Amino acid sequence: MRRALFVLTLVIILVSTWMAFTIGEVVPSEANVTVEKNIVYVHVPSAICTALCLVVVLVAGICYLRTGKDQWDRLGAASAEAALVFATVLNVTGSIFARPFWNTWWAPSPRLISSAILWFLCVAYMILRTNIQNPRHRARICAVFGIIAFLDVPMVFVTARLMTDQHIDNVRFETAAQSASFGLSILGIVLLAALLIWLKTDILQSKAKLERDLT
Amino acid sequence: MNYFWLSFKAIFFKDIVIELRAKRVLPTMVVLGMLIVWILRISCEAASGSTDIMGPAALWIAFLFAGLLAQERSFTTEQHQDCIYGLLLAPVDVGTIFLAKLLVNIVVLCIFEIIIVPVVLLFFQISPSGRWLDLTIVLLLGNIGISSIGTLFSAIVQFSSSLLSIIVLVILLPMMIPATFALLLLFGAIPEELAGTGALAFVGNFKTAVAYMVVFDAIFAVACWLLFGFVVQE
Repeated sequence: MRRALFVLTLVIILVSTWMAFTIGEVVPSEANVTVEKNIVYVHVPSAICTALCLVVVLVAGICYLRTGKDQWDRLGAASAEAALVFATVLNVTGSIFARPFWNTWWAPSPRLISSAILWFLCVAYMILRTNIQNPRHRARICAVFGIIAFLDVPMVFVTARLMTDQHIDNVRFETAAQSASFGLSILGIVLLAALLIWLKTDILQSKAKLERDLT
Repeated sequence: MNYFWLSFKAIFFKDIVIELRAKRVLPTMVVLGMLIVWILRISCEAASGSTDIMGPAALWIAFLFAGLLAQERSFTTEQHQDCIYGLLLAPVDVGTIFLAKLLVNIVVLCIFEIIIVPVVLLFFQISPSGRWLDLTIVLLLGNIGISSIGTLFSAIVQFSSSLLSIIVLVILLPMMIPATFALLLLFGAIPEELAGTGALAFVGNFKTAVAYMVVFDAIFAVACWLLFGFVVQE
């Protein structure tokens, strides 16, 4: 089952990458910036994926506090880690794009601030997690942190969308091929996130079982 | 309701009296705050002396770290002789404990603000040009946000040995943006006609910045109040 998901994800990502550089290529407005413009096929899906992973963290946190079942804690931890991965990709690709277009790696524009905050929240979650030894305390406190940290996310996104910004507007594609490759890249990256969360949850479960057996 | 007030008052006065008699954190907070302000003022001098831009930053950095010191104390004092268990076993709603502790922290931070704000105004040669009420509102809103997050996470610190609550300040990041801009506008570092343009569009003018702070405060205070029970649950 998981192997099938892995193969499917790999195929979709490869196809969408191929499409991004051939039929789906974003027409450059200036010369020599094609590669940077095509970053949209990684950048935007990563942003969507970070938000989705954080939604999972929120839901897992609420479910853990309600039921007290360990699997929710593991799901939350795995999603937070996936969110950190995609938030890193989001910020790095954003910087790569910003350098040729705005002649700076980072600027205090609303969306850049909001994605930086997302990254900080994910890192803080991971630090909090590694620093509490008692598993029950850790699970409860991480759930609480996940919920409060998530409360920042809609605020950050709403403010960023409402304000004028030097960041380019939400993408509008001209051809069907571009839209198709964009949709496919979103699908590929969301599947990748699901796969990562699944794997990490299993690793955490085995780890918990090992610790239980050892004591 | 009457019972709520009774228990609320008991916890609040217990803590505030302990703090005012023993003066365990206030002096430390003031020294730390002064140190931060002083270092930032010196670095300002080195960089062509644009003091009105650095003033708000100095103020909020001092508040964040001094506030952290104050809030750490609110549950570490309960650890002596396991007082925390007595408090939790008492027939009092945990929400009441949180609200009382929160008010103590707000009051302590207010005292700190009364001391440190004139220092910043003098050091950085800035003034809110007559808008003292606006300044008070902004500082109070920042105070409530910092205190509610700090109070919740000081309860967490008792489960871990390190200064973990520092990491929690990350949650306050989104609120610090409108907070800083509100002060910049108040101190005239940004001309009013420039507000709401370019990179400043994030907060718009003074009124929207204050509105953002109110929203953040409401979300943080309510969420912390609701989640506090889970943190102290044994």
